[in-house]
Amino acid sequence: MSSFIDYTVNGLVIGNIYALLAVGLALIFGVSNLINFAHGSVYTIGAYIGWAAITFLHTPLPVTMAIVFVACAFVGMAIERIGLRPLQGSARIAPLLATIGISFVLDQIVQLVFSPDPRALPNDLPDWRIAIGGGSIGALDLLIAGVGIGAAALLFAFLRFTKLGYAVRATAQDREAALQMGVNVNAVNSTVFAIASALGGISGLLVGMYYNHIDPAMSFQATLKGIVAQVIGGVGNVPGAIVGSLLLGLIESYGIAFLGTTYRNLFAFVLLILFLLWLPNGLFGGRRVLQSEPLTGAFIAPSKPLRLPRWALWVLTGAAFALPLVIGAPYLLQTLTNAWLAAMLALSLTLMAGTAGQISFGHAGLLAIGAYASALLTVDLDAPTYLTIPAAGLITSALGTLLIFPAFRLRGHTIAIATLAIGEVVSLVILNWESLTRGAMGVTGIPPLSIFGHEITAAREVYWLCLAIVVALALVQTRLLSSHFGRTLRAIRDDDVAARSYGIRLDRYKALAFAFGGFGAGVSGAITAHLYSYINHQTFDSQVSLLALTMVILGGMGNVVGAILGAIVLAGLPELFRLTAEYRILIYGIVLLLLIRFRPQGLMGTL
Amino acid sequence: MPAQFNRRFTDWRNRLAIVFALAALTPAAALAQASGEPVTIGVSGPLTGQNAQYGAQWKKGFDLALEEVNAKGVKGRPLQYVFEDSQADPRQSVAIAQKFVSDPKIIVEVGDFSSTASMAASSIYQRAGLVQFGFTNSHPNFTKGGDFMWSNSVSQADEQPRLAKYAADLGFKHVAVLYLNTDWGRSSQAIFTQSAKSLGVDVVASEGYQPDEKDFRSTLVRVRDAQPDAIVLISYYADGALITRQTRSVGLTQPIVASGSVYSPKFIELAGEAGNGVFTESNFFPGDARPEVQAFVTKFKAKYNEEPDDFNAVAYDTIILLAAVIDKYGLDRTAIRDGLAEIKDVPSVIYGEASFDPQTRRVAGARAVYLVVKNGQFVLWDGKKPSAS
Repeated sequence: MSSFIDYTVNGLVIGNIYALLAVGLALIFGVSNLINFAHGSVYTIGAYIGWAAITFLHTPLPVTMAIVFVACAFVGMAIERIGLRPLQGSARIAPLLATIGISFVLDQIVQLVFSPDPRALPNDLPDWRIAIGGGSIGALDLLIAGVGIGAAALLFAFLRFTKLGYAVRATAQDREAALQMGVNVNAVNSTVFAIASALGGISGLLVGMYYNHIDPAMSFQATLKGIVAQVIGGVGNVPGAIVGSLLLGLIESYGIAFLGTTYRNLFAFVLLILFLLWLPNGLFGGRRVLQSEPLTGAFIAPSKPLRLPRWALWVLTGAAFALPLVIGAPYLLQTLTNAWLAAMLALSLTLMAGTAGQISFGHAGLLAIGAYASALLTVDLDAPTYLTIPAAGLITSALGTLLIFPAFRLRGHTIAIATLAIGEVVSLVILNWESLTRGAMGVTGIPPLSIFGHEITAAREVYWLCLAIVVALALVQTRLLSSHFGRTLRAIRDDDVAARSYGIRLDRYKALAFAFGGFGAGVSGAITAHLYSYINHQTFDSQVSLLALTMVILGGMGNVVGAILGAIVLAGLPELFRLTAEYRILIYGIVLLLLIRFRPQGLMGTL
Repeated sequence: MPAQFNRRFTDWRNRLAIVFALAALTPAAALAQASGEPVTIGVSGPLTGQNAQYGAQWKKGFDLALEEVNAKGVKGRPLQYVFEDSQADPRQSVAIAQKFVSDPKIIVEVGDFSSTASMAASSIYQRAGLVQFGFTNSHPNFTKGGDFMWSNSVSQADEQPRLAKYAADLGFKHVAVLYLNTDWGRSSQAIFTQSAKSLGVDVVASEGYQPDEKDFRSTLVRVRDAQPDAIVLISYYADGALITRQTRSVGLTQPIVASGSVYSPKFIELAGEAGNGVFTESNFFPGDARPEVQAFVTKFKAKYNEEPDDFNAVAYDTIILLAAVIDKYGLDRTAIRDGLAEIKDVPSVIYGEASFDPQTRRVAGARAVYLVVKNGQFVLWDGKKPSAS
C-alpha cells in the first residue's frame, strides 16, 4: 500500500516535468492549429544556453532563467517567421513538416556545437528534501511544479483578460475575421511563439538540472511526451495540458509498477492511440478541434507532373539492369541496392501519403514487420526465402492495414501523431515480446537469400533482384494509379465528403491502398533482413521513417518515378559526400524546409 | 532519436580530437621506418554522427601502435590502415564491407563499432573470406557469424562473473539488478544472474530499462520493495549516473555495484555527490600497477598529453595483435585467419598476454581491478566491506 503512494507521487513528479513541455505545445496549437515538432529542440537549446551561462558566466539560477527565457523567445520568433508565416494558406500539413525540418536543423546544430556527449548541468538550489511516503521530493520538484502551474495560470489569465489575449483568441478562432478587425495576426503569432518557446527553454533548463544531464538527443523524446500529454488533456487547451501530463505520468508509473520498466513507453503510446480513437478532443478539448477541413491533410501542392516519355523510362530501366555488366564494383552496386530497397519503401509511402492522402510518420514500422516476419520464418521454421519474402510482404500488408485501420477516420494532425505512435508501438512490441522476437538481442544468423538452392549473395545478383522488384512494383503501381482505383483514391484525398456522397466506401479503398503499400514495404524489410543477417528493434528506427518521408516529398507526392528518384538521391547522397556525412541530417532538414517553401511539388511534381 | 550503442568511455574534447586524428591519418604511413609497399588494414567505424567520439578514440590507439610496429614493420613492410566512416550505421557498414572485400590491398578488417553495424556486415566478410576483427563487439553471437569473425573484446562471459564475485566479496547476499535493455545489457544480465547464484548471491529483482530512459523513480520503488542489500547496475556511464542520483529520492540507501562500463570521468561528473561510494571494476585503469599498463600510459601521455581510456587501450592492443599475426603468418587473408587461431601470448594491455580460443574465436582472461569512487575519483578498492546500512 505504501508503495502505491510512492508510485503515485513518482507519477506526479514525472508528470510535472511533462507539463512544462505540454503547456508550451498547447499554447501554440491553440493559436495556430499547429503541432510544433520543434518544441523539443527549443527545450534542448534552452538547456544548452543555460549550461553555457552557468559554465562561462557563473550566473545564479534566476539570472540563468532570465537569459534562457529571452534567448529562447527569440528562437521561437525565428521559428514562426521561417516555419509558419511563409506557409500560411498552404496545406495544413506543410507547417507541421516545416517544424520537423526545423527540429532536424536545430538538433543537429546543437550536436555539432556541443558534441553528442551528455553534460552535467548542476544547480545551486538548496539541497533539502521533504519526505513523502517512502521517498522524498526536493526543491527542484517544487520549482518545476511552480513554474508549470504558474505559467499555465498566467497564460490562462493573459488569454482571458488582456487585450492581446483577446487578439490571440480571435486569431485562433478565425484568422481572416481577426485580420479584418484590425488584429495584427502576424504579431500575435510571433508573440505566442515567443512565449511558448521561452517556456520551452525554461523547461529544458529545469529538467536538465533535475537530472543533472543534458544531451542533444533529449529533444525527440521530450516532443513525443509533450504531444501525448497534450492529446490526453485536449489539444490546444492549456489547463488541460497540465492535467493530461499528470495523468500520463501516473499511467506510466502504474505501468512500471504492474509490468516493469520496459513497458513504460508502450503504455504511453497505447494510451495516446486510445485517446486519439475514442476521445480525440482529449479530456478538456471541447469540440473546437474537430472542425476540420475536407482535406485529409495530405501535403499535395497542385502541379503538373513532369512526364518522362515512356521510351526514356525503358531506356533508363535497361541501363540500370545493364549497369553491373559494365561496372562490377560491389561497393557501387551495394549503394544502389540500398537505393532500390529505399525505393520500395518510398513507393509504398508515396501511394499512401501522396495518392490516398494518409500521411505516415511511422513507415519504418512496416519495414520492421516485414523483416521480422521473414527472419523468424526462416530461422525458426526453416522456410525457404523464396517463400518467406512474399509471405513477409503479405503479413506486413495484413498487419499494417490492421494496425492503421482504426486511424482511418482521423484527419490532419491527428493522423500524423497516430502513425508516429503506431511506428513506436511496433518497435516497442518487438522489444518486449521476447518469446517471439528475442527482444533486445535481435535475430541473428538469418540465412542469405536463395532460390531453389542457389544462394543469391553476389552483389550483382542482389542488385538485379532488388531492381527487378522495384520495377515490378512501380509498374503495378502506375497501372493502379491510372485505373478506377487510383482515381477513387485521389477523389478521397481531394474531397472525402464528395467522394463519400458518390457512394465510395472510404475505409475500404484506404485499406486497399495500405494493403498494396504494405506489401512493398514488407518485401523491402524482408530483403534487408536477409542481406544483414542480423536485425534488432533499432535497425528500422524513426529516422528511417522521416527519411522515407523526405524522399517522397523530394520526388513529388504520389509520383511513382519521383519516389524512385528521391530514393536514389537520398540513399546515394551520403555515399557521394562521405566527408560531409556529419552534416547529413542537417542537409536533410534544410532540403525538407526548402522544398516545402519553394517547391512543394517536389522534383517530378505531384500526381 | 534513439541514442543507442555503447556509449562507454568518452572524450569530451572530441571535436579537437577529430581534427588531430584526421591530421594524423596521412603521416601514419609516412612515419614508417620499414620500406616497401605498405600492408593495409581496413577500418570500418564511426568518425561522424552520434558515436563520432569513439572513432576518434580508436585512431589515437591505432596511431600509437603503428608508430611502434613500423619501427621494424611487418614482414619488413610498413603497416597502415584506411578508416572508412560508417557512422555505426548498418546501411553504411554493409557498403563499406563490399568496398573492402573487393580491394585486394585490404588483408584484414577491423570494426565496426556497434553490434548492429558489425553483424550486418559479417556475412559479406565471411563469404569473401576476409577476417572481420571486432574489438568492441560484446554481442555473444558476433563471433558465431563464421570462422572469419574474431574478437578480442572483453567477453561478458568474462566480465559479469567478475562483477558477481565483487558483489560477493563485498559481502552482499541479496542484490537487485538494473540493466540496460539492449543486446549487451540483456546478455550481461543473464550471465551475471547465473554466476551470482553460484556464488550464493541472490538476485531478488531484475529490471530492464530503455537507453533513452531518464526517470527511474518508479523503477527504484520496485527495487526497494524487493529489499536488496545492494543494487547492481549493468549500465553505461550516462544512465548509471542518472540511476545513482535518483536512488536517494526514493529512500534507497543501499550501496551500488556497477559494471565496468560506467568507468569514465563522465560518470563522476554526471552523478555528482551521489557517485561517491559506487563500486565498480575495469579492465583498464591508468593507475593499475601492471608494467604493461604503465608502459602504455607513459607512451600515450607522451604522444597525446592526456590520460588514455579503455577505447584507446583496446585499439592499441588490436593493432599490436594484428601486426604480430601478419608478421608471423603472412599477408594472405586466409593465413591471417589461421594465424589468429595459432598465435600465442601476444603482449596486451587488457589481457597481459592474449591468445585466442580457436573454438569461440575470443580471448579469455582479461585482467581487471576493483575500483571504488572516493571524493569524486576512481581509486583502487582498499578491500574494506561497506558497513551494513
